[in-house]
Amino acid sequence: MTATAIEHGREHEHAADDHHHTGDVDLPTYLEFTRRNRLGMWLFFASEAFLFLALLVTRFYLWRGPHGEVVRPELDQFAGLVVTAVLLLSSYFMNRAEVSIANDKRTDFLASLLITAALGTAFLVGVVVWEWGMFPSIVKGHLKPTDGVFGAVVFGMTGMHALHVLSGVVLILNVWWLGRKGHFSSERHWGVEACAIYWHYVDLVWIFFYPAIYLIGSTIEAPH
Amino acid sequence: MANNRRHFIIATVLILICTVLVYWVLDTVLLKPAAAVVEAGPIDNLFDQHIWLIAFLFALVVVFMCYALIAFRARGDEGDGEHVHGNGLLEILWTVVPCFVVVYFAWISTTMLLDLTRPNPDEYVVSAEGRQWSWLFTYPENGAVTPELVLPVDTPVRMDLTSDDVLHSFWVPEFRVKQDTVPGMVTHVRFTPNVIGEYVLRCAELCGTNHGGMLATVRVVSAEEFKLWQSEQLAQLQE
Amino acid sequence: MSLFTLGIARGLLGQVLGMVIGMLLTCAVRILLGWEAWAAEPAWTVGSVCSIIGFLLGVGSLDDWLKWTKGIPTPMHHGPPVDKPAWTRYFSVDYNHKVIGVQYTVWGILLLMVGGTVAMIFRTELARSGLQFLGLDLYNSFIGMHGMIMIFAILLGVGGMGNYLVPLMIGAEDMAFPRLNALGFWFNVPGSILLLLSLFIGGWDAGWTAYPPLSARGPIGYQLFFLGVFAIGLSSIVGSLNLLVTILRMRPPGMSLFRMPIFCWAVFATSLLQLTATQLIGTSFLMVSVQRALGMGFFDPRGILGEVSPMVGGGDPVLFQHLFWFYSHPAVYIFVLPGLGIVSELLPVFSRKPLFGYKWIALSSMAIAILGFIVWGHHMFVSGYNDILRIPFMYATLLVAIPTGVKFFSWLGTMWGGKIHFDTPMLFVLGAISVFLIGGLSGPILATVPTDFPLHDSYFIVGHFHATMFGGFVFPFFAALYYWFPKVTGRMYNEKLGKIHFFIMTPAFWVQTLGQMGVGVMGMRRRIADYDPTLGGGQIENWQMAVTIAGFAIAFGVMLMLWNFFQHAEVGVAAGDNPWRSRSPEWQIPSPIPEHSFPAPVRVVGEPYDYGLADSGYVTTASTGDD
Repeated sequence: MTATAIEHGREHEHAADDHHHTGDVDLPTYLEFTRRNRLGMWLFFASEAFLFLALLVTRFYLWRGPHGEVVRPELDQFAGLVVTAVLLLSSYFMNRAEVSIANDKRTDFLASLLITAALGTAFLVGVVVWEWGMFPSIVKGHLKPTDGVFGAVVFGMTGMHALHVLSGVVLILNVWWLGRKGHFSSERHWGVEACAIYWHYVDLVWIFFYPAIYLIGSTIEAPH
Repeated sequence: MANNRRHFIIATVLILICTVLVYWVLDTVLLKPAAAVVEAGPIDNLFDQHIWLIAFLFALVVVFMCYALIAFRARGDEGDGEHVHGNGLLEILWTVVPCFVVVYFAWISTTMLLDLTRPNPDEYVVSAEGRQWSWLFTYPENGAVTPELVLPVDTPVRMDLTSDDVLHSFWVPEFRVKQDTVPGMVTHVRFTPNVIGEYVLRCAELCGTNHGGMLATVRVVSAEEFKLWQSEQLAQLQE
Repeated sequence: MSLFTLGIARGLLGQVLGMVIGMLLTCAVRILLGWEAWAAEPAWTVGSVCSIIGFLLGVGSLDDWLKWTKGIPTPMHHGPPVDKPAWTRYFSVDYNHKVIGVQYTVWGILLLMVGGTVAMIFRTELARSGLQFLGLDLYNSFIGMHGMIMIFAILLGVGGMGNYLVPLMIGAEDMAFPRLNALGFWFNVPGSILLLLSLFIGGWDAGWTAYPPLSARGPIGYQLFFLGVFAIGLSSIVGSLNLLVTILRMRPPGMSLFRMPIFCWAVFATSLLQLTATQLIGTSFLMVSVQRALGMGFFDPRGILGEVSPMVGGGDPVLFQHLFWFYSHPAVYIFVLPGLGIVSELLPVFSRKPLFGYKWIALSSMAIAILGFIVWGHHMFVSGYNDILRIPFMYATLLVAIPTGVKFFSWLGTMWGGKIHFDTPMLFVLGAISVFLIGGLSGPILATVPTDFPLHDSYFIVGHFHATMFGGFVFPFFAALYYWFPKVTGRMYNEKLGKIHFFIMTPAFWVQTLGQMGVGVMGMRRRIADYDPTLGGGQIENWQMAVTIAGFAIAFGVMLMLWNFFQHAEVGVAAGDNPWRSRSPEWQIPSPIPEHSFPAPVRVVGEPYDYGLADSGYVTTASTGDD
């Protein structure tokens, strides 16, 4: 998350550096700055991939039945399907936002961002309220974090992912707010791009997490 | 070129002398505890092969380095050395030759490891449980539970290890082999004691405050004495 | 001038405030939930998280990004602060990589001294058998503390060398992300403070490896320890990301990857490991942390045996070791690769001869880095994981010997036929080779499983990794300090004192490492406060005493070096631009280096190590004026 915050908004840098050098120094262009930022962003994703891989490895290592077969807990399949669909849909609107600013369609850009943020929030609510049962008065969850390795891994994986979604939503809202104040243009919108690829990345992680938590393996009935 | 050849001949002789010297030093410094199991034979033999390899490679690098430092010191000369960027053949040579050494060591270690861990139908099974900070041994034959480990000489033994709380490790230095005990899991270690005597089992995995003091006595006794001890245990159990 | 014009003072204040706010927040939430207000572990944990954020806000390393979120432009300020003395920039947030490099290095040396002091304390305890003055719990906290502080110190040293040298060596104006660079450094300060603080709230008794279940049930100190490691881990990740982008995108035209100074290759390989593997130590510690705090039983072994029910148990302590060593083995290569890069970098300069087999050395660093990912299992040969897995891990581990051997032989090839000068940096390079040789050669005996059985978790391991750490990091780091001291300060250190330091420290280290290995073979376990005096036929105490004395000699040598630097930073003889007659870009510009390192874009006109080729150069800068 840190790195994302760092990359985003980087376009100010270039303008700031402009008047600092004298003529004999070749100043890197906005394009060059964007290339560096882009590479940094992808390296950050590579780093994060290891975090998510570690969680996936943990899931397949610990969720084993009495004969070593792959098992999974009984979860709300409908909830899982809905939040997954919501998140996938949000990626479409994120992409639309990026395309819109690249074509200087500011209204579409801002609207798409808001829809993305709303869908992201819907995902979070779905996970936290529906699946986790954070507010038992509304929905009673299936698992508690203390329910053995099922509870630990479900909450560990969805929790770490939710943290990333949350940071993504905050970033999107920040970009939306800046966009409303007139920042970003078709030539200069690295901040939007960074936000978008981060969002797609978080989405991609869920594409691996969803089957690992909800689909793969046979279910084991809760003893109580 | 002729100069280089002279350098190499001197260096080679020095390396051979130095290898023997380093081996002698290491053999003096690295004092292994007395061996008390059959398995110590091959393990110590492999250890010795390693020490020879270490002695040779140490001599190889250090002799060449020291030789170069003396033969090619600047002697107040501010000029530059030979303009050589490398030698592909040499690089390939010192990449490929070590590969063979690596495969040799890996191969003999693999076969040895398989021997060390192979189940034996005649093995005598004792369970051991580590707990902060003591050991308990259970003899499945009669259910005796003791704080000291008594084993018959010249009998293959399998220890079934487990733990009550945190990680511990089963290690008797004279027996060479070592195995962690993990709570919730049974791990195994196999050995055949062949020297009658008293040894100390030392916990080798940090397990909290008194890890250093987590010891147990291990007695390897003759077959007759072991029978006697067993009947004593049985008598105590029936009381 | 008030104290709080210094960023670090504001940061420390922020850390204290953050801690208090975090604790109050925890109490408030607990009261709202209807629980008892004060609970030590959650309060300290949340407090520590807030204390890291408090420090970063206080020191000001987040200022620019906070402005970006509001769309306020943040022009890059170059040079010392306008309204304060120039030296204050070293104690505040500064975006110049040369300042950040010095900050890393100095903080690293400070931690090295703290870690060394801790080692001296328990080494004195170990000089004789029996317990003299340390309690068992304090001893256990100290060994873990020594280990982790030294790891922090080494990471800082690696960061210092990388930050200071890489942009200079590739002729870049600065790092790719200067703000991220500063943040990367400032993470370390609250992180190391939390680590030290943990000693005062119970410590942690499972060593730096913090294996559960022990770490899942010990004192609260563990949470602060874990958070300290997170902070340093974040620093590692953002720092390595920055270095990778700098190396990949900011080289001048003509400097292909195989024309970089060799140190940059080492940093490149190290950064790849740091960027990716660091996540795993974070994940594994986070899992223990939440197991303690929230009861999430990742490593809680209840219910593995008999009736398995993943609803009530099923955790596995061995999984922690897999995740932990997936970082902590590559970590060793993170520590040593830059050091070996320093050796490769300095040897040609002092041998006046091209680096022998440049491409082979460069690629051997990459080979070591890649192999580093598949050898973690050798730390777990006796851990109880599937027996068969030991064999592939054994093969992979032994394979590491091959690229490492390539380095040694190439170094010999570099020296052979040269004109060798014995200045202090070169002496430390030679010391590094001899010590790393001991560390490297004691490796294969641990890699083959049958010989690992008697040596695993014995003092032999302690000897082995101290030799690799000293040979792979400490000696090359000291060589680098002596070598670049004139470039950083513009002054020369005292050569005689430097040589005395070398001739005290090197033999002392040989005695120390051989002694440690010796007592290990005798049967001494690692991490014990008291040992059996009858081991090794009663000889063990003599060896322990020798190791302790050698340890003190090393400490004395280090003090000598620091005094030497301290004494000569201001008043030493002016060093000149290029006292070592190096071809590297940083030596073609004035010492100390001006704010903007290179007056004009650097142009590559030759090979980096063409010593002995008349009238050739590596790069041109405007100051050399020959283009």
